[in-house]
Amino acid sequence: MNAPASSAGLHVADLKVEYYTDDGIVKAVDGIDFAIRPGVRMGFVGESGSGKTTTALALMGMIESPGKVTSGVARLDGLDLLSLSDAAFEQHRLATVSYIPQGAMNSLNPVARIEAQILEGFRDHGAPLARADAQRRVASLLEQVGLPPAVGRMFPHELSGGMKQRACIAIAIALRPKLLIADEPTSALDVITQRRVMETLGRVQDDIGSALILIGHDMGLMAQFVDEMVVMRDGKVVEHGDVRTIFANPSHPYTRTLIESVPSLERRSKPSRATTNGGQAATNGMPLLSFDGVSKAYGQVEALRPLSFTLAGDMPCVVAIVGQSGSGKTTLGSLVLGFETATNGRVTYSGDDVNRMGRAAVNRFRREVQAVFQDPYASYNPFYKIDHVLTVPLKNFGMASSREEALDHMIRACESVGLDPAQTIHRYAHQMSGGQRQRLMVGRAIMVKPRLLVADEPVSMVDASLRSTILGNLETMKTELGISVLYITHDLATAYEIADYILVLHKGSVVEAGVPETVIDDPQHPYTRLLVDSIPWPDPNRHWGAGGSLDEETQSVAEADVTQPLVRNEIEGFRLA
Amino acid sequence: MLRFLKRLFLMLLVIWLAASLNFLLPRLTDRNPIEEVIAASMGESGGTMEGIEEIVASYEARFGLDQPLWKQYLFSLWDSLRFDLGISISFFPERVSTLVLQALPWSIALIGTATAFAFAIGTALGALTVWPGAPRFLNVVVPVIMVLAAIPFYLIGLMLIFLFASQLNWLPTGGGYAPGTIPDNSFEFLAEVFVHSILPILSILLASIGIWALSMRGMMVTVQGEDYMTFAKARGLSGWRRFWRYAVRNAITPQVTTLVLALGNIVTGAVLVERIFGYPGIGNLLFQAILVIDYYLIYGCVYVLVLTIGLSLMILDLIYPLIDPRIRAAG
Repeated sequence: MNAPASSAGLHVADLKVEYYTDDGIVKAVDGIDFAIRPGVRMGFVGESGSGKTTTALALMGMIESPGKVTSGVARLDGLDLLSLSDAAFEQHRLATVSYIPQGAMNSLNPVARIEAQILEGFRDHGAPLARADAQRRVASLLEQVGLPPAVGRMFPHELSGGMKQRACIAIAIALRPKLLIADEPTSALDVITQRRVMETLGRVQDDIGSALILIGHDMGLMAQFVDEMVVMRDGKVVEHGDVRTIFANPSHPYTRTLIESVPSLERRSKPSRATTNGGQAATNGMPLLSFDGVSKAYGQVEALRPLSFTLAGDMPCVVAIVGQSGSGKTTLGSLVLGFETATNGRVTYSGDDVNRMGRAAVNRFRREVQAVFQDPYASYNPFYKIDHVLTVPLKNFGMASSREEALDHMIRACESVGLDPAQTIHRYAHQMSGGQRQRLMVGRAIMVKPRLLVADEPVSMVDASLRSTILGNLETMKTELGISVLYITHDLATAYEIADYILVLHKGSVVEAGVPETVIDDPQHPYTRLLVDSIPWPDPNRHWGAGGSLDEETQSVAEADVTQPLVRNEIEGFRLA
Repeated sequence: MLRFLKRLFLMLLVIWLAASLNFLLPRLTDRNPIEEVIAASMGESGGTMEGIEEIVASYEARFGLDQPLWKQYLFSLWDSLRFDLGISISFFPERVSTLVLQALPWSIALIGTATAFAFAIGTALGALTVWPGAPRFLNVVVPVIMVLAAIPFYLIGLMLIFLFASQLNWLPTGGGYAPGTIPDNSFEFLAEVFVHSILPILSILLASIGIWALSMRGMMVTVQGEDYMTFAKARGLSGWRRFWRYAVRNAITPQVTTLVLALGNIVTGAVLVERIFGYPGIGNLLFQAILVIDYYLIYGCVYVLVLTIGLSLMILDLIYPLIDPRIRAAG
């Protein structure tokens, strides 16, 4: 099906990309066809390794050895992309095909000002600008992505994550390309920032009228943003079509799995916990964890305002602490773990102040309170094999007297999170995927039989389908092992799925608290409403901004009261004071 | 401004500590320098050892060595501040400051030039070796340079002397200029100095280029894995820009730290080379001073050493924010 050379938009036919490795030829992209008209947004969905990013690289002439485009035609407004020489392709990147990177955090040159990084695009594509003209263009590009002109004079480290991503968009659209390729542009951002960046991207695309490819694995984001969708698996297109049709009636089982792996209101599986109205005493005896007027300030910055709660522990529950970056949620986690000392108030574990424990109490505390962190890549010491990683806690806490016993523990730890012990124990961390590493971190935590787990964004860096597996692991910890979980996240949707109770944190204060059904189905605080409205639901008919535009909502959050939390119900085992 | 004052204070603190240590350390040995110098000269002139005590005592009074230690200490601190480093024992009656100031330019020129060249060549080679599309001949040059880096430079120096000076007779064996020449500003004299500096500079170059190349290579590999390199390529930026403005610019920052520290080591770094080539620099001077435990001269040399290191650290602290904007925020 060769597309006519003159037709507008991108036409790809029989594209094949192969990688020549020691283990043979890997068909990364195995004969795919698709077309995108100008102004259309196309989503490319699939797991890592499905070929979606390789397709994008091929369209940018950036397949590098040992990879090779072995067949196919790709025409963009008649231009035969795949027959271009390397030098010619260099001229077309940015000018014709432009790319918006995934890791906006590190995608900008740290030693150059934003304006310089915008202008070098003009210069290297034969269109250097006069000084006065340059300033004007920088300002107008920044304005297009909603950034003030002053950003031009700034260095990347002076910008927030969302601002960096918008700066990347400004850089990428400078030459008004015909095709924009956005590679998971919001994967590390919280929902509100994500919504802002995606709205910016959509507006900019409308401005320049280009075709757009959005690569990602988040079906929710796809439902909110794209017009058409290509679902890829093992280098092949398994489904292709209009986004509404695909969501309404997915024809391939793999598509169905992807859609179902997104947490959604309708599919909340477990029955909600019995709620109690009004204040009930925590439990008889010492609560497992209690905050007593705890606050934390870094210099002048108040990271956490005075907060009191008790977690009983005899009735295990998952408490989600939800908020954007800068809301104080990670500070809260650090306080629980004793990594930070409270400025005021006391954090106690089983009655002991976590910062003033004796040796024996510390040892017990370290075993009974485990943590799983956000980045499974940085959580491992690259010099050690997994068996070492797992043996250390066993030794430290005197849980194994012999190698056999230790091995037994390790095997069970792997199995508890669905990993094959034989495939895991004798490997190095870098030989495992991000998802495997994160599951192993959960398994490691389970292994030492804790009573409390602090999970700080445990699923924000793994594929969507693994997300539900890991969340399932956390769920199992609670129901079968009686472990309470503090689940720290910016993602209300996953909190909705596994939490028994939700605290919404904004600017260091709890603004709203309650069981998920109350907080998420009927949010009362403007900030909670903004968070809920910004969740990318995997439903093309339930749109972002149903509750008003982002600016309006942000305005009402700014005006809202943050001093008194809205608490409508409580559960047994956890009590906010 | 506050930042500058803070650095200045830190530098003075370092200098004070070093000055104190330098005062104390030589006095911990039980050898008496005056006795040794006199004994040596008497040995040469065939005099007797009779009455040596009185002579020693009178010289000790002359040099202030009969004073209580704390007094000597305070005096030495005060003198250090005025850069009055006393009178050399072994080159009596030359002043230490004169000797040091005579030797210093030779060292700065020699080691400074060698280090600057080694840095520039080594960094460029290291950066190019891991840059795709760099010239092929580097694949041969770089391993050779790396091997040379494993050989100590005094050994390279000896080999160079053997080959170019004693076998081929192309270049002089050592010295800053030919014996008998009177230093002046004439072109002939400068040419002579240049010819004499070729072998010492070459030995330092050969030995240290590989080290610069190796560390730059490592940084370049790290930098090339960064997201901003991918994004730069995806934006179709020219290879030239990606190499200089992205890769080298980011990889070079730790190199600059090492460079400034290396320049601070001009004085000590030179001891072996200057000794082998008989170069009239401060390293050679320090070596001679240590041989006869010339307190004042040792102290003078080390004082200059501490000053240069302290000064270069301060300069580093002050220029680093210009090299890496991320430091500016940290203040």
